[in-house]
Parts: sequence; structure tokens; C-alpha cells
Amino acid sequence: MMTGYHSLGYSLLQALLLLLVAPLIAGIIKKLKALLQNRIGSSILQEYFDLYKWWRKPTFVTPYTSCIFLAAPCVYFASTVAAACMLPNFIGRTVSLGDVFVFVYVMALGRFLMTLSSLDAATAFGGMGGSREIYVAAFVEPVIMLAILSNVLHTGSTFLGGMSLDPGEVNLTVAGVLTCIAFFLVLLAENSRIPVDNPDTHLELTMIHECMTLEYSGRLLALIHWASQLKLLIFLLLFSLLYLPLNIPVVFKVLGSAVLVAVVETLNNKMRLFKVRVYLAAAGIMLLLAIAAQ
Amino acid sequence: MMMNIFFMAAACYVIGIFTLLLPHRWQKAAHYTACLAAMTGSALVTYNAALVLLDLLQPAAVHWGSYSLACDKWSAAFLLLTGCAGIITSIYALGYALSYLGKRLRLLGALWNLFLGSMVFVVLAGDAFSFLLFWEIMAVASFLLVNHEAEKRVTWNAAYQYLVMTHIGTAAIMIAFLLTGTYSASFAFADMADNTLSAGMGSIVFMAAFIGFALKAGLVPLHVWLPNAHPAAPSHVSALMSGVMLKIALYGFGRFVFYFLPAWNYWWCIIVMLAGLISAFLGVLYAQMETDIKRILAYSSVENMGIIFAAFGCGMLLQVTAGGSWGTIGFMAALVHCYNHSVIKVLMFMSAGSIMHATGSKNLELFGGLLRKLPYTAACCFAGCMALSALPFTGGFIGEWMTLQSFITLAYNGYGQDIRLWCSLAFILLGFTGALALGCFVRFFGIAFLGRARSQIAEQAHESDAFMLFAMGISTVLIFVLGIYSAPLLTVLSGVLAVDTAFYMPGIADVLQSGGELLQAYGAVLVLVLAVTAVCFAVAVSMAKKAYVASDVTWNCGTIPTARQQYSATGFSKPLRRAFDYLLKPKREVSYVRKDNPYFGRLLSYKLEIPDMITQKLYLPLQKYFVVSSAFLRRLQQGSVRLYVSYVMAAMIAVLIWGAIYK
Repeated sequence: MMTGYHSLGYSLLQALLLLLVAPLIAGIIKKLKALLQNRIGSSILQEYFDLYKWWRKPTFVTPYTSCIFLAAPCVYFASTVAAACMLPNFIGRTVSLGDVFVFVYVMALGRFLMTLSSLDAATAFGGMGGSREIYVAAFVEPVIMLAILSNVLHTGSTFLGGMSLDPGEVNLTVAGVLTCIAFFLVLLAENSRIPVDNPDTHLELTMIHECMTLEYSGRLLALIHWASQLKLLIFLLLFSLLYLPLNIPVVFKVLGSAVLVAVVETLNNKMRLFKVRVYLAAAGIMLLLAIAAQ
Repeated sequence: MMMNIFFMAAACYVIGIFTLLLPHRWQKAAHYTACLAAMTGSALVTYNAALVLLDLLQPAAVHWGSYSLACDKWSAAFLLLTGCAGIITSIYALGYALSYLGKRLRLLGALWNLFLGSMVFVVLAGDAFSFLLFWEIMAVASFLLVNHEAEKRVTWNAAYQYLVMTHIGTAAIMIAFLLTGTYSASFAFADMADNTLSAGMGSIVFMAAFIGFALKAGLVPLHVWLPNAHPAAPSHVSALMSGVMLKIALYGFGRFVFYFLPAWNYWWCIIVMLAGLISAFLGVLYAQMETDIKRILAYSSVENMGIIFAAFGCGMLLQVTAGGSWGTIGFMAALVHCYNHSVIKVLMFMSAGSIMHATGSKNLELFGGLLRKLPYTAACCFAGCMALSALPFTGGFIGEWMTLQSFITLAYNGYGQDIRLWCSLAFILLGFTGALALGCFVRFFGIAFLGRARSQIAEQAHESDAFMLFAMGISTVLIFVLGIYSAPLLTVLSGVLAVDTAFYMPGIADVLQSGGELLQAYGAVLVLVLAVTAVCFAVAVSMAKKAYVASDVTWNCGTIPTARQQYSATGFSKPLRRAFDYLLKPKREVSYVRKDNPYFGRLLSYKLEIPDMITQKLYLPLQKYFVVSSAFLRRLQQGSVRLYVSYVMAAMIAVLIWGAIYK
């Protein structure tokens, strides 16, 4: 039962668990960044408080918008939850629901709607965010495809369950390590982290993802933020399960990579928008080397 | 028995063609008759092709002397596609073509039937000569349809460019057929399958056939006619050209590759695959830069035909390197994507026609906020944009998914660094293609339908009539059916390639226990997405109704936002234009129209042009070369009789000498 269709219950349970933990991981990263920057920072539970706050606030909708504007956060949230269900089932077995291409394209469904919503409010800022998001995505996608290819050459499966490293497997090869580093670079780009995007600011010169969501408020904003936190956790988990070649429990891998994200974000500045392609090309070249080395 | 139904269909098309003879004052009646005839004919074709595909009818051939018509499963697969698209577009034409009232409407109806009929009979042709005859009728009919608005200079240019290009293609196909026929007992396809082509001759035949069919399919660098011809033609014609005629090219190519040239060379596969991949990438890149909605769709056709040929080439390569029945996954992907792209592109061109009907323009920069004016068109177009972005729920995803799976299969089963190289290249280009296609259709839908109207014409837009909406509705439903419940189509098409199960991938057996389960898991994911969306919508939007406060306008730093402050289509693709400027070479010109004060009140004029790289680098130099060489040849033609007599004399002496030497 490699497709895991029959373990749908487990998958749902797992998605629910991840959904509950996601704000905590985002809070931990934020706290760590603050500590590394000699600030005290907010509580690690602050993300939960924020979500609760937005949930109670009223939603402002401008008269220019259409139903796409209301539907987009819901679809974004749903596609991210579905992606969470498709992760290798770490509760008990290593099966997964569907294959990696369905995973990639279900995530793309969310991006499609969110980018559309950015054009819906008829402002200059929204369009700017959407246009930049497409630009970054255009360079992220080939690298993700190469990362998938590199992994499939190693494991011979296109199922996330089959693609994950065996428990206890230490894949310290040229290919394994290069793929691991490259995927981490992609993880930062895909989740709008420094050095590609800055998750903490709304300044129009720097923003990409935050800029698309500028017109949102209330529950819809809460949904978007929750989904983004879940997406970060999904990528950290993918990084841990599929790529990090160390023999330690998954929980520590995820926490360790969260720490790594905080450290990288502290040590780097956001790069210029048109440098992103060079950054992602570096990841692509590492993956090509990894593919050649297998 | 079987052919009779096709002849009945032919009779319908002929009736449609003869509506041309009705008097001018009955042009409306002629129009309705022509569309109904086309619809009935296509329905008969669909019915019969479906029977053949479902093994309810045995293929039988009809002969007249050396001419013959035959229908095997490979033909039936394309007949079904032609028939379905024919029915849908003919319903659409009932409403849409009325806008040509008084503008050669009867001719439009007659040519429409001729075009549909010729495409059906190209696929039915059982020998080289009937194939070439119907192929030529198809080319001429489509040329006349493209040229329908011949008053416009642009249309005229596009149509003649198409005519020249398509005849270069026909010449190449003719070479391929004649060479194959020379090495076989006769020109009937059945005999041509037992040809005695040597390896070298086989390569020449292959290259000629590939050039001919790739030109019709619009693969880079032979695509130049396509982005000009599609916008020039009436929308329902563009729909049929893009949805069906480009696929007929795959039919012809498959006929050669599967039947006449069974011993494939490694490099043939590479050529097909690379041509496909490069077309996919460049097609979508140019689509992203265009602001003419029909040119966007035309370039997107280049992209999708690229994906189809890439999958086909991948299948060939799998067959050559891994053997067995490995290639079937690639061929399946190509066929499935053919079907899906046909339905999607028919829908998208019909939507574009609906927008043009509503606004009278095809310039994306003038639209905005059309969703409120054309809600049904918007819904259909949304489905089409989703499908062209290859998103789950739509047919576009299934084709893309299978293409990616076939390249994965190739990577895992082909040994050697060369296969790694091709697969890495394929994944990079397919990755770019996927993301750029998403961006392109976000831009298409977002700029046209969302936000606020950017011009008067967008504000005064009106919804299309019932026939057009009905036709678009059918295609929308088909897109979702093919995307959600694709198993029946896969089963039928697997019969065409004689594969055991739909997702038969023998190598990664431990991964794919069966295709059914893979599709079930996909179905589960879809249900999940729908369910969670519904819950979110209920909780965050419907149940929170009371909490809504609709503010007057968007916050705009204290000023009232204007429609001109929205992102434009050109602005939206700016980052990509800059990122790919090495390939696109945009020509940007900013000049000051008025500059009284250096800081305030300046009036700028901005001009942007992105010339097609292939035209600039390949066709213009070629054209120059032709002009120069014809100037040289002109010296031979002085017009003096004595000179011509001496040419004859010289030729005779040469023949005599040659005869003396080689006797």
C-alpha cells in the first residue's frame, strides 16, 4: 500500500497536528532571531496570539474585489493542508498520499489563487507582489524539479514516502550533501525568507509575499498566515525527512533546521531582487553536480 | 459498414460547403445550415471513432484503385478529438460567426465545413496520395479562413506567411512520402509499412517528416507563422486550428514513426525531445511577454505542442535505451496531453472570442474588471487558465503529470551519463515551463477579469449570447471531467498503444503497485482540497458576514486610487523580462514628450518591443540571402531568345558528354 490511500485517517491526523504546531515553529524562529540580534523578542507563543487576534477582527473588503479575493485564502489554506497530508506519514509508517508531482502542483494551486488575489484589489502594491512572486517561482520551480530528480535517482520512487531516507540511513555522499544544501536554499526562497524575501516587513521595496497579502484583514489574513506557517513547517519536514543525511530523530532534525533558518536570516541581508536568479542558479548547479555524482 | 458513417459525415460537410450557393439575402439561413451540417458531421465522426476505440467496430478499408481510406486505432484517436472539437466549435460558431453578417458569412460557413472535412479525411487517408491531397485541402482551407478579414493588412500578411510556411512543410512531407514509397511495393500505407529503407535513407525520411510535421505543429524554430496566423483568424477558426490542426501534425508524425520507420535511431529521439522542450520553454516565455490575448494563446499552443513532442520524444528514447514497453508511458503522456490541450485551447480561444465580442479589442492592457461584466465567460476562462497552468482538478494537470513521470522513468531506467544530461535538461526546462505558464495565465486572467476597468470599452462590455456560452460551458465541464475522472480516457487511449493498464510503468513496480491506486490517492487529495476550502469559506467568510465592513476604497496613502495605478500587463511581466533579457532582447525606448520642469509635470512616452528572436536571427538573414541569390539568378534570365537557345545547346552538349562517358 505504498500510495497510502488507505491511511487517509493517519494523514489527516498528521495534517491536524502539523497545523497546531506550525505557529509554534514560526514563533521559535522569531524568538531565536531576536535573541541572536540581542533583542528580547516576543514570546514563542506570540504567533498563536496574533492568529487569535486576527480571527476576532472584522474583515475589510474593498468594493473593487470579486469572489476570487474571498476564495483565495481559503484555497491557499486548503492546498497547504492537503500538502501536509501528503507528507511521508511519520506516525507509524513511511507511506504517503499521492506522489511528489501532485504535491508540487497542489501547492501551485494555492499560489495561483494568491497571485490572482493580489491583482484583485486594483492597487499598485498587490500587482508588484504578484509579479515578483511569479518571478521568484519561475526560478524556484526548475530547482525543485532537479531536487526531485536527484532524490528519485537515489531512492527510485516518486512517492514522498518512498523518497524519504530510511530511518538510520546516513547518506553522507557527495550527492546527498549537495542535494541537502541546495534544497535548503530553495526552502528559504520558497517560504519567502531572507535572503530572498523578508517575512517581517511591509516595506514596498523589499516585499514579495507580504505585499500580495496587503489588502487582507481579519479571518482571511489569519488563514493566510496560518497557511504560510504550515508551509514553512512542511518544507522543514521535507528537508528533514528527504534530504538531511543525519541519523537523529525527526523532531530534532526539524528543530535543528529551524535554528539554521534563524541563524541564516540573522547573518544575511535581503539580496536585490535580480540577484535571486544567481542564488537559485547556484542551488541548481549543486543539484546538477549531485545528479552527475550518483 | 464502418466507412458508411464517415461517408455520411462527408455528405454533411458537403451540404455545408454548398450553402455557399444560397443567395446573399439568405445568408443567415446559409450560416445556420452550415453550422448544423458541421455539427452533424462531427457528431457522426465522434460516434464512429468512439465505436472503433471501444472495439465495437472492426477497422476496414475502402479502396478505389490505388486510393484508399482506412481507420485504425491511431486514426480513431485523432478522429474522436476532431469530432468533439468540431461539435463544440460549431455550436460556438452559431453565435460567434454572426458578427461576420454581411462580411462573406456564407464563405465562412462553407470554408468551415471544408476545413473540418479535410481534417477528418487526412486522418482517414490510407495511402500517401490521398493523405497529401487532403493535407493540401486542409492547408488551403485554413489559409482562406485565416485570410477571412483580408481587408486588414495584418491579416493579409499573416495569412500569406502561413501559406508560404505551410507549403515548405508540405514539401518536406512530400519528400518523406515519396522516398518511403520508392522503397516500398506501393504508396498504400499498408505496403509502405514493409519498406526497405536503409538506415541512412531512413534518417533522411525521418528528418523530412519531422520538419514537415513540426512546422504544422508549430515547434520552435518553425513556429513563426503560428503567433501571427492565430490572432488574424476568426476566433472559432483559431480554436479549431489550435485545438485540432496542430494535433493532426502529431498524427502524421506518429504514422511515420510507428509504422514506416520502426527502427529508431538514438539521435532521432533526442531531436524530437529537444525540439519539444525548447518549444515549450520559449513558447511560454514569449506568451508571458505578449499583450494581445490571442497571441498569448498562440504562444501557449507552441508551449503545449512542445510538451507533447517532448513527451513523445521521451517515449521514443525510453524505447531505444530501455526497450520493452517502456516507451508507452511517454506516448500515453503525449496522447493524453493532446486531448486535454485540445479541449483547453478550444475553450480558451472561444473565451478570447467572447472577450473580443464584448469589447471589440484583443489588447490585454485595455481590459480589467471584466469578471463583473462577463461572469459566465470569466468562469469558463478561469477553468481554462487553471488548466493551462496545469493545476490539479483540470485535464492540463494529468498531461503534465504524465510527462514528468515519463521523464522520471527515463532518468531511472536509462543508464549512462547522457540520459542523466537529457533528463536534467528536461527537468530544468519543464520546471521553467510550468512556473512561467502559471505566471502567464495569472497575468491573463488577473489583468483581464480582475481589478478595475482600464478603459471605456471594458466598462461597456456585455456578455455573449447563449450559443457561445453553451459551447464554452461544455468545454469547461470536459476540462474538469478529464482532470478529475481521467481513468476512462486513459483506458481508451492505452488501447490505442496496446498497453495493459493506464499507468503501466513496469520499472518502478515497487512504487506504483497499480495506476488505479495512484489516481485514487490523487482523487483523495482533490476531495481534501475541496472539503477544507469549503470549511474555510464557511467559517471565514459566510459565518463571519456580520463582521464585514466594506470600506469605500483601498488605502492608497491618503489619495483616491485610480484605475491607472493598477499593475499593467506589461508591468506584470517586467521582472521576467529583465531576468530573461539575454534571450528576449527587449527594445525599450523612453523619451520626454514634454520636459518644462525636470521634477514635475514631465510627459513621458514609453515604447517597448520584443522582436521574436527566431525571426530576427534566422528568418530575416535567410530572407536576405534569398533576395541576394535571386538577384544573382536573375542574370541568367536576360529575356533574349539567343541566350535561351544557347542554354538549350549547352544542356544538350552536357547530356551527350555524360551519355558518352557513362554508357
